[in-house]
Amino acid sequence: MFGFIRPVKPELRVREADRFQQVYCGLCHAIRARYGRFYTFFLSYDMTFFALVAGCGETETAPPCMKRCDAHPVTKRPCAQTDAALELAADVSVLLAYHKIRDSLADEKGAKRALAAVLCRLGKRGYEKARQRLPEADAEMVQALDDLQALEREQCASMDRAADASARMTEAVVPRTGDARERVLRQMFYHIGRWVYLLDAAQDVKEDMEQDNYNPVVLRYGLRTPDITEIKQPLERTLERSLADICMAFDLLDAKRDADLIRNIIFLGMPLVTRQVLDGTYQTNGGWGRHGSL
Amino acid sequence: MDPYKVLGVTPQTSDDDVKRAYRELARKYHPDNYINNPLADLAEARMKEINEAYDMIMNERAGKSAGGGQQYGGQQYGGQRYGGAYGGAQQRSYSGPNASLYSQVRQAINQGNLGMAEQLLQRANGRDAEWFYLMGTVYYRKGWYDEAMRSYTQACQMDPSNMEYRTALNNLNMSGGYGGYRPMQEANMCDFCMQLAICNCCLNSCCNAGC
Repeated sequence: MFGFIRPVKPELRVREADRFQQVYCGLCHAIRARYGRFYTFFLSYDMTFFALVAGCGETETAPPCMKRCDAHPVTKRPCAQTDAALELAADVSVLLAYHKIRDSLADEKGAKRALAAVLCRLGKRGYEKARQRLPEADAEMVQALDDLQALEREQCASMDRAADASARMTEAVVPRTGDARERVLRQMFYHIGRWVYLLDAAQDVKEDMEQDNYNPVVLRYGLRTPDITEIKQPLERTLERSLADICMAFDLLDAKRDADLIRNIIFLGMPLVTRQVLDGTYQTNGGWGRHGSL
Repeated sequence: MDPYKVLGVTPQTSDDDVKRAYRELARKYHPDNYINNPLADLAEARMKEINEAYDMIMNERAGKSAGGGQQYGGQQYGGQRYGGAYGGAQQRSYSGPNASLYSQVRQAINQGNLGMAEQLLQRANGRDAEWFYLMGTVYYRKGWYDEAMRSYTQACQMDPSNMEYRTALNNLNMSGGYGGYRPMQEANMCDFCMQLAICNCCLNSCCNAGC
């Protein structure tokens, strides 16, 4: 995923903002404990969100523990204690990160490709371990990524078809419990995947046109120039539909733990990012300089 | 079931506030929001639970205040007036070359078997407005909203007088009517006027035919 999923900080309570940071750090520690340092470099707000949703059925929040890490070697920072949700999020992070690297290895050219090849080799062991833990999820992701790459090769002009392959990959992260909760989560993560994919395509229109890369938005609307003001409205409509589906699924989820924090991300954060990307005012504020801060 | 827990209120909450909590939840889980949504059945179950909880509380309170004689009349909404997510009163009978195929497609869609519906549609003889409408509905159910919009638009262009197609397109453009979740959008008043005008025409022709 691409970092589009994050809370709107001014609307958060202080304890919610703290909790978000604790889960972020907790996830990092869970990844490191299970898979080593390598995969902690792929830590993201998106996966923090997943950890929150995966654990929202719990009623109790364990008090944070204090831990040191590579980014904060001097002072200990409060981290969420590792629980089932964080472990799942760690496994899923590794799977998604590895497949993303694999995807760049197939797509990119030159230096980026060489880098991806190196990362792919470095990440192989962790990936095998995660695959053993979640074999069904991995099989679904592999299938979805194959489909996506085939659609890219044939220059598929249907936004929905391409987004579907990507969304199925995100959908695969939902644990197989076989109950109504699984259905709700699947619907929710399908549309999160669809939204992320289409929004990312809209964000990359300029870059993809310059480098002659596959971009479903460009092909769907037959864009000649990288200006998206003309297609802003229909694009917003279709993205909004997915956002509405995410909200409605979340309403049926009965979140107990961190409900307000998740609500902030879904009901405020995601619409805000949508507007920013379509207006061209979106800026990533993660990165090295602002590690773990919102 | 603890009815107070369902509505998120306490036995001390005033009648007005209970009513407000009920309305808020009913607005959220109303079946109209979940038309064509794969989770419609879950929302319906939730709505039923909310209605029951509200009735229980109101009956209990009415019983207390009137010494057990009086019963609360019930003013709940949702649930009953929900006639299935699909079809409805506006559906016009189709009598083209694919009539029996299309009725199979509708059946498959109603059963939630989208793969089957799509396969059947591939077998159709030619592509008319009804074909695009049904295809649009399959896309809609799958969450392929851009494709759904294109198919519905095509259906409306091919048969501008069909209310079922037009309603479907309008529903899609209205973001499912999800209150508060539509940043920067205004209702499309032109379409509404258009609907009224078409409605009027239909009624006129019906009446004339009857006389």
